[in-house]
Amino acid sequence: MSELSGTDFRNRARAWLEQNAPRRGGEQEPGRADIATQKAFQARLYDAGFAGITWPKEYGGQGLTNAEQIAFGQAARDFALPVGAFVIGLGMPGPTILELGSEEQKKRYLPKVLRGEEIWCQLFSEPSGGSDVAALITTAVRDGDGWVLNGQKVWTSGAQYSDYGAVIARTDPTVPKHNGITMFILDMHAPGVTVRPLKVATGAAPFNEVFFDQVRLPADAVIGEVNDGWHAAVVMLRNERVAIGTMAAPRTSPLSYYSLSGLAARLGTDADDRVRRKLAELYARERSVQLFGQLLREEAMAGRDPGPRGSVAKLAGAELGVFASQVAAEVLGPAAAASDRDEVRAVLNAMISAPGGSIAGGTNEIQRNIIGERVLGLAKDPGVDRSTPFDQLRVGTLRRG
Amino acid sequence: MALILNEDEEQFRESVRRFVAERSPLTKLRELISSGQPFDTDVWKQLSALGLTGLIIPAEYGGAEAGYSILSVALTQLGAGLVASPLLAGMLAAGTLLRLDDQQARTRLLSGIASGELTATLAAAGTGTATVRANGDALTGEITPVLNAAQADVLLIPAVDGEAVVLFEVAAGAPGLEVTPLPALDHSRSLARVRLDGVPGTRLAGDAAAALDFAADLANLAIASEQLGGMGACLEMTTEYAKIRAAFGRPIGAFQGVKHRLAELRTTWELARAALRDAARAADERPADFPRAASVARIAVSASYVDAAVATIQLHGGIGFTWEHDAHLYHKNAISQHTLFGGPGKQLDRLTALLATS
Repeated sequence: MSELSGTDFRNRARAWLEQNAPRRGGEQEPGRADIATQKAFQARLYDAGFAGITWPKEYGGQGLTNAEQIAFGQAARDFALPVGAFVIGLGMPGPTILELGSEEQKKRYLPKVLRGEEIWCQLFSEPSGGSDVAALITTAVRDGDGWVLNGQKVWTSGAQYSDYGAVIARTDPTVPKHNGITMFILDMHAPGVTVRPLKVATGAAPFNEVFFDQVRLPADAVIGEVNDGWHAAVVMLRNERVAIGTMAAPRTSPLSYYSLSGLAARLGTDADDRVRRKLAELYARERSVQLFGQLLREEAMAGRDPGPRGSVAKLAGAELGVFASQVAAEVLGPAAAASDRDEVRAVLNAMISAPGGSIAGGTNEIQRNIIGERVLGLAKDPGVDRSTPFDQLRVGTLRRG
Repeated sequence: MALILNEDEEQFRESVRRFVAERSPLTKLRELISSGQPFDTDVWKQLSALGLTGLIIPAEYGGAEAGYSILSVALTQLGAGLVASPLLAGMLAAGTLLRLDDQQARTRLLSGIASGELTATLAAAGTGTATVRANGDALTGEITPVLNAAQADVLLIPAVDGEAVVLFEVAAGAPGLEVTPLPALDHSRSLARVRLDGVPGTRLAGDAAAALDFAADLANLAIASEQLGGMGACLEMTTEYAKIRAAFGRPIGAFQGVKHRLAELRTTWELARAALRDAARAADERPADFPRAASVARIAVSASYVDAAVATIQLHGGIGFTWEHDAHLYHKNAISQHTLFGGPGKQLDRLTALLATS
């Protein structure tokens, strides 16, 4: 890929977006658009050749390189694309099926993901095992040709409007935990699947709990091999981390330097030297995190796999969010305690959300383990869980035996 | 625009790294501590021969005109090896001269700096404020501490003349000039007190305030480069130790108390490196962004290096606190670097001011 074709692709994308997509900060924010609007937009994006840029042509993709993908991302930065519902399917289950799925699965599911005809969610986390995803206790038991699924998932984004989900379940409890898991394609409309909204600390319900009661799964629902689902899950989580880590936070996010310095000027709190110095500190940290994201993207373009350094970006982003919340508190002053200004309430909402960034997609502690073990090459944590059969392990807050 | 190193930069980094490992390992620094010498003159000659002294100097004065990014790459390697030399002093003097509109001074001084034959320094301890007064062309006052003042052939001295800041060139040994070497915390830095009592100087033409402002940005870039190298060395040394040192039946790096501390340091090092690459590129390609970018880079690495040096001692345990171990050499370097040319508070003030004018 030459410098020129990247520029060319970026220009073509920008020209199309100018005509077809709302700008950031406009009335139509991403995710707020209803599902029908999002599906219509994704279909147009697909027809214009900007969906599945790096996916193979035989499954509906464009067959291009990371360079064009990055070029599109740069062009799209100033636009609020109404495609929130497809982010998961395109970023996680999609690439995983592409890597591990059967030929039939790829042909059946991938084109519909790209065209926005079917929406996907990811069903990993359970109440008893957050960071320790492999300790899951949802079961899939063989029944004739197929399987029967029972249990519960949590923190599922988009489950309420999803058509399919990638679910991992325990298929053999008598072996160590990583060896007895299988990944399945789940029809979210199947009998026995119940979706309930999960209200979080901000008072909103952006996630769901999903319950499985005797849900039947056909034999061809298995992604990859039976009992090799942990491998599939690792592939999917790695895709998630890179997605979160290299995501450039928009200038207009309520906790950005740009937003908070503007707010400080309007509230008059920028007259205080300490507030201005705190903002400068935020500028320096935010800029460093952004530049690291840029460096990772450049390395990817140069053909170097960012690999586990995606965890550095993820950790740094989460810590920046928490630090920005502290700066926001200084900027707001007593308005943090009570205010009827919408812009103040938006900042408060972001402050309340910030700790979530240290949990979602793997907690800070998990990221530090990954950085320590896979970037620095330090010895693994010698947990008993790697060799003990799952049915003899202590899990979550449950006590056994 | 690209933050990643180009091929020339990669190659130059490798040759400087090899030079440091072969010609100036840490045992050199220990020799200097015993002998009391400020730097090894052979090492300095070899650094000049490698071309480091001429990187930012235009070809017409015998320099390589290679730019600030490659200087930053070289300084990072020198910082990693705590190589003692008057390079930083000379680069700050050269950078100042390049921003002054004084053709004669450039012709007089730059080729000597480029070849390494002339040792020059900028007699500024922090960002900007001059404490020397000019009465005509006679200078009186004190500046402390000044980089390599005791070895310098030429000192560039900022002085207040009425309301204006003016730069003067003062030759070593000028009447009334008193240079007293000070015991430096960091064994790789030579610092001295400069007292002037009616010292005759040569008044340099051009906008001294603007040139000194640029010198402050250049100091941020250069010191941040050295700091990133020092921090990287601490991190590497400690990571290796955590792999081989066993306690309670396993390598200490397996314990999260150790592992997470190292992961945090690696994270801040990665961010600082990205910020430094941006500052180095800005110096060559986006001069208007350079002050801010250099300030961000310095803030990103400065306190983190101190943190890494402290962690190096602590994670090594008792051995890390001994004189034989190299950890204290880095710890002293980290503290000294953190304060030179604007400590943490001054840096934040500077960035605050830069953001206000944007």
